Amino acid sequence: MEDRLRSIEDKAIKAVRQAKDQETLEEIKVRFLGRKGILTGILKGLGRLPRQERPKVGKLANEVKVRIERAVRQRLKALEKEAGPKVIKGFDPTLPGRTLPRGHLHPITTVLHKVCSIFERLGFSIAEGPEIELDFYNFEALNIPPDHPARDMQDTFYVDDKVLLRTHTSPIQVRTMEVMKPPIRIIAPGKVYRCDSDVTHTPMFHQVEGLMVDREVSFAHLKGILTHFAQEIFYRDTKVRFRPSFFPFTEPSAEIDIQCVMCRGGGCRVCSDTGWLEVLGAGLVHPQVLRNVGIDTERYSGFAFGLGIERIAMLKYGINDIRLFYDNDLRFLNQF
Amino acid sequence: MLVPSSWLRQMVDIEAGDSELAEALTLAGLEVEALEPAYPWLLRAQVARISRVEPLDEDRRMAACTVETVGGEAVVACGAPNVREGMLTAFVPPGTEMPDGKEVKEARVYGINSAGVLASEYELLLEGDAKGIFDISGRYRDAMIGQSISEITGIEDTVLEIGVTPNRPDCLSILGVAREAAAIFDSSARCPESDVNGSHPLEGVSITIKEPALCARYVGASIGGVSVAPSPGWLARRLLASGVRPINNIVDVTNYVLLELGQPLHAFDIDSLRGPAIVVRTAVDGEKIVTLDGKERELSEAMLLICDRDRPVAVAGVMGGIDSEVTEKTRNILIESAWFAPSSIRRTAKALKLPTEASYRFERGVDPTVQKKAALRAVQLVLELAGGTFKGVRDENPVPFTPKRVNFRPDRINRLLGTRLLGSRMAEILAALGFKVEERDGIFATVPPPFRADIKGEEDIVEEVARCHGFTNIPTSSPVATLIVKRPQSFIPFIDRVRKGLKCQGMSEIISYSFVAPSDLQALKLSPEDERTMVVRLLNPLGEDQSVMRTSLVPCMLSTVSRNIRRRNLSQAIFEVGAVFINQGAGVIPREHQMCCAAVMGRRYPESWAWPDRDYDFFDLKGLVENLLKGVDCDSFSLDLPSSAEPFYENGTQLDIRAGEVLVGSMGQIDLGVAKAFDISERVFLMDISLEALAQASSFRKNFVPLDRFPSVERDLSVIFDDFVRAKDVLDFIRKNGSDELVCSYIFDVYKGKQVPAGKKSMGIHFVYRAKDRTLSEQDVERLHAPLQHAILKEFGGLLRS
Repeated sequence: MEDRLRSIEDKAIKAVRQAKDQETLEEIKVRFLGRKGILTGILKGLGRLPRQERPKVGKLANEVKVRIERAVRQRLKALEKEAGPKVIKGFDPTLPGRTLPRGHLHPITTVLHKVCSIFERLGFSIAEGPEIELDFYNFEALNIPPDHPARDMQDTFYVDDKVLLRTHTSPIQVRTMEVMKPPIRIIAPGKVYRCDSDVTHTPMFHQVEGLMVDREVSFAHLKGILTHFAQEIFYRDTKVRFRPSFFPFTEPSAEIDIQCVMCRGGGCRVCSDTGWLEVLGAGLVHPQVLRNVGIDTERYSGFAFGLGIERIAMLKYGINDIRLFYDNDLRFLNQF
Repeated sequence: MLVPSSWLRQMVDIEAGDSELAEALTLAGLEVEALEPAYPWLLRAQVARISRVEPLDEDRRMAACTVETVGGEAVVACGAPNVREGMLTAFVPPGTEMPDGKEVKEARVYGINSAGVLASEYELLLEGDAKGIFDISGRYRDAMIGQSISEITGIEDTVLEIGVTPNRPDCLSILGVAREAAAIFDSSARCPESDVNGSHPLEGVSITIKEPALCARYVGASIGGVSVAPSPGWLARRLLASGVRPINNIVDVTNYVLLELGQPLHAFDIDSLRGPAIVVRTAVDGEKIVTLDGKERELSEAMLLICDRDRPVAVAGVMGGIDSEVTEKTRNILIESAWFAPSSIRRTAKALKLPTEASYRFERGVDPTVQKKAALRAVQLVLELAGGTFKGVRDENPVPFTPKRVNFRPDRINRLLGTRLLGSRMAEILAALGFKVEERDGIFATVPPPFRADIKGEEDIVEEVARCHGFTNIPTSSPVATLIVKRPQSFIPFIDRVRKGLKCQGMSEIISYSFVAPSDLQALKLSPEDERTMVVRLLNPLGEDQSVMRTSLVPCMLSTVSRNIRRRNLSQAIFEVGAVFINQGAGVIPREHQMCCAAVMGRRYPESWAWPDRDYDFFDLKGLVENLLKGVDCDSFSLDLPSSAEPFYENGTQLDIRAGEVLVGSMGQIDLGVAKAFDISERVFLMDISLEALAQASSFRKNFVPLDRFPSVERDLSVIFDDFVRAKDVLDFIRKNGSDELVCSYIFDVYKGKQVPAGKKSMGIHFVYRAKDRTLSEQDVERLHAPLQHAILKEFGGLLRS
């Protein structure tokens, strides 16, 4: 009896291992283990055996059954693996998805949002002002009187002798301080205009102006805030360099260079081999500007900064021609 | 400001190399934008051997010279008398810019291709003559073919290109930069001294200042018997490296001293001065002068002039007159060294559109104490270079310079900078910059040097201390700030909601210039009463096509659509948000509106197996608009037939967009004629809305509606209407006449064609009935629906479709 069981086991396992597909395997399974199967027949015939043999043979038969079952399971897995993923007839899940057009914000908008949000997290609020400005706000209130050579720093579009297209977002500083008392922390994005047009200049571009006025605001704080900004918008380890410059409405004035994002300071065409890129202008608010709006310069001090968004966007995305921003070719816009 | 390194180093001792010097100057506020070779032509010109000389004309003036260069043989036409076979000379290859500003080019001369030139020492601005080409063999025995002329002569230099900010006119001179460098490198600057006797009174010329407010000082120095000639090489080279073209020894000396000391000088030919006299006065309206550049200039009352007894001889501080110009025949000269009021010079130079090296410095402010020194320096150089006899100097100084005093408090400076510097350290920094500093009871009193007119208050001292201490050495820290509870109002968050509302519907944002061509606005066919014809015009546009500020985004949108069509971008769904400007008259700022404009055209869906192949239509845009309005929570919006027509839509396609009663915008299909004006022949659907009006009607509030508890019963109705029956009228009628249990009704089908008679249309309407408090039975619904159905058929003359 035991020999017979062993021979059944051998036959079954051999058959299982040779089964070429799931259907054959199922047949084999039924042939040996099914209700009318060979092994089942033996188990059913146990009663006819002598009493003392029954437990031993029964146990063996069960073991054989378990082993055959295991073999069937293993073979099934192997067959499934061989066959690969299930395929439904007439259904091809590899066809491209039914995507809707995605929609794109202009890269300038995206960068403006990024810049503003960095400062909003630091407690700065968004402020705004008119794009066509009075000479007073664009120049005079910012310590740039008529006939001042500093007016040459910005080529101005004039509407008449009092009205012009703002050349920077700095007039928003003055407009804000006229209506708000310190403490003040604003960030002011917007379009600005200069009559200048070539590969690196467009007559309209975007700036963001920042202003903080409070007690005990120092140049060290300006360095802290702008270093943080540069490292947020570019890389965490971006090196930042402050060097003296001149703006009539700040004193001391600084220009802020970042380590070139293209060559990481090694020198390349983008940074004219200097390893540095100028990205920000800043300084402590000139006391005359504060006095112009009635802020006590002995109690309060402040810093202001301004940056060009196009430049940041060009560096972030590696865009080589500023005019692409206003050409509005969908092949350009849909990349962002 | 172009600063030749050797000139700078003549005035200050610095051990650092040029790039280290450049870096240090940059970090102290004098940004060195570039380091360039001073004499590029001497680097390109190279030693070459003349191997063959063949005459090109009968009298043997011109020869074809075959020269051996490092790059092979070249044939050059040359007319110099000293050309001979075997000589080493200077060969200048094509593409080289010569000192006279002309570029060497390959040229056809006497029937040969001349590939370069053989140059004389004079042409190369070396110390030598113009009589023949550079005879290198005789002078430099070790010279080898291919060496640059710079290499064999040892004449080379570097120019520091410095961007001098408008507040530092004192650095518009070699001396000024030397003073800064001295302060940085703990050295001292040397001012060139003149040994000319400054107390020798001026002979033969009178000087009268009639406008002391505009001319605080006028120094005149005279030299008799000069010989006007070209300057020696060293002087010419220095001028050229500094960006000034050499002219003759007299004019060159005035320019040299201008660059050296920052004091603009002018030389008059005394024999052409009537009187001879110098009178400083303002112009009489309509007075004229021909300036050195040969142009006649009409003068106006506010302009300051230098005149002789009878007539103007120079526009003060701007440019001299041609009548008193120093020429080769000039024998006796008067050197002018004056101080003019900056704003007067600036206005004059602007009005005449004549910015010069002199006006640039005068309008920024010249050291008011340097005039006599500069005049005597020029006299000395003229005597050295042009000979002659010194005929004395006169110093008219009706408004003498009075030094300013500026106090500072070290603790205040430390608070503003975030530093902890000692007062004595600050005093040291200032002393190195030429300030006189005294301390009394913790307050420091300073007297800035006369060339620092930019130092006016304590804040200027803060800057001096900060930049000399080094911005890098100031700590970097975070401010301790007051929490600001009340924030300024801003419209930007709402604009961003609109942007996102359109972006997430698959549209792309464009940004176009705020200025447009007047013809683009005219193409919209706006009526003359329309406020959008009240344009703001620029006084100085870049061109006619950018000469007016836009009063509508529509032309920008259509131009962009057109440009993209030309670039074969044939599926467009684009929008712009931005300001438009309505003129409110001169001297006041225009009204600015924030608008949003969107346009769709071309293929509706991406080219794909998955989407139908069709173009955008009216209802695609209408759906976008409806979604946008819902997205900004404008609850009360409606899109309805227009109360007045926008002229740029195709007649009958326009809808007004209203929020409640307020008109916020419009949409429709662009009129084909208008589209044509923008070179568009495709159908374009466009929306134009005012964001201010929309923001007023929008809320950030949402009201929750409880979910339905009871099931609904639905009914469909298919009716044949006359074609002119409008969907909106039918739906409005249903809403008005339906019972409370009718919770929703919509049009599910519109059909024309087979089985529907001509002039008619079939409309399928779906009805959803539901009660708030119970389940409606079929009979309940029948009781509600049958009368409504009847009323609809009756009201609109419809027939039930079988």
